[in-house]
Amino acid sequence: MGFFTRTRETAPCTVTISHRFEELSAHVRFDNGTTVNPGDEVQVQGPEIMAAFGERVEEKRVAVITRASKLEQIWTRATGDFEFMELCEFSFSEEALS
Amino acid sequence: MNMHSSEAATAEEAIAAQEALPPLTNEDATAVAMQNTLLTPRFYTTDFDEMDAIDVTSVRGEWDALIARMKSDPNKGHFKKNADWDDVDWDGMEPKLKAEFIDFLISSCTAEFSGCVLYKEMKRRGSNQDITTLFQLMARDEARHAGFINDALREAGIAVNLGFLTQSKKYTYFRPKFIYYATYLSEKIGYARYITIFRHLEAHPEKRFHPIFKWFREWCNDEFSHGEAFALLMKTDPKLTESFQNRMWIKFFLTAVFATMWVRDHQRPAFHAALGVDPAWYGQEVFRKTSEITRQVFPMTLDIDHPRWVPTLNRIQAANVQIAAGEKRGGIAGKLAALGGRIKAGVNFIGLLTIPVQRNAVPASPRLEPVY
Repeated sequence: MGFFTRTRETAPCTVTISHRFEELSAHVRFDNGTTVNPGDEVQVQGPEIMAAFGERVEEKRVAVITRASKLEQIWTRATGDFEFMELCEFSFSEEALS
Repeated sequence: MNMHSSEAATAEEAIAAQEALPPLTNEDATAVAMQNTLLTPRFYTTDFDEMDAIDVTSVRGEWDALIARMKSDPNKGHFKKNADWDDVDWDGMEPKLKAEFIDFLISSCTAEFSGCVLYKEMKRRGSNQDITTLFQLMARDEARHAGFINDALREAGIAVNLGFLTQSKKYTYFRPKFIYYATYLSEKIGYARYITIFRHLEAHPEKRFHPIFKWFREWCNDEFSHGEAFALLMKTDPKLTESFQNRMWIKFFLTAVFATMWVRDHQRPAFHAALGVDPAWYGQEVFRKTSEITRQVFPMTLDIDHPRWVPTLNRIQAANVQIAAGEKRGGIAGKLAALGGRIKAGVNFIGLLTIPVQRNAVPASPRLEPVY
């Protein structure tokens, strides 16, 4: 990891989407055991994955991980905390509805 | 086998896949007409090693009892639609109310969903059995709640789109202690919000304009248990709630969370009017219950009866209206108005922080039961 440079790598991943009455969830698991760090960006390749209502879909895909530079990582660690309000949802979106 | 259009690599393939499908049935036609809403959950990382190192030995008895109850899943059968789920007249609903209520459902669904993603990630990255079991159980509850809200949205003709997975997403970072404070408060205030509405509608059933409110009691009991788990986690390390610096953080979190709730609730007048709830009364009632509950672990409560409390919250709300109006107007004048609003909001927020707190002697055992 460079101080200023980002690097890109790919990782095989398993995407699981549950679009069922009893469970609505979506997760990406990296199959090679790699992990993401603060500031990294992840994009699953390929077309949108859809699960019809009542279905649970599991697909093998490839994810592109853009590793944050050391500087970005330090910045994200230092400032990420201040996005904490995102964790406290008040069951309303932020914007005023007109 | 027909290829699904979502598996197509090119637009031509997608169209061909669409055309190869059998003619639409009535039900399919309804599905096509559904309005698509992209869910936009957030993605977090934290110091997973620090979290993994938590040792719950000092609260072992209470911890095991709580986990055992969560495992037994007392609410498993609750999130089913039964005869209580009466018909909703979506078309007859006043448009402003409908817009606010749908906003309520979508944001609730997104919140449950983000919680689920966060908890599942912690479960996966950890190796400490106590911690991973807890996060697994909480992820289960959140996914169940999200599914239940999703179903209510489908009835309203709104389909959630999980396409965010193939969009680029950036991982932000929270220190573990911030996750404890924020999720603890969020679960407990969530409980207070849901139970206050539930009790209000028990007394005024004619105001219940949607059946989902009937499910709020068991729903918020899940939130309550999640909060209990975080209370125990904070108990394992006294520094988290006792050091001077962390006490300042706790005051900051409480103030920020209460003020944000006040502002957002006041932005949804039609929703609260339909329920017959005054947002100011509701806010104070929720703060009161949340303060009472957080005495289990926080060394202070905010003085919400202080003469400056409500007037300052109202000024923050007014500043927020000014920011929104300024941004809407645009141009230099709009930007200046918005900037002025931000300064006002900031100054008043600091004003809230200058209100002295009420000290609280934290009990040795934090465990509480939902009693409201």
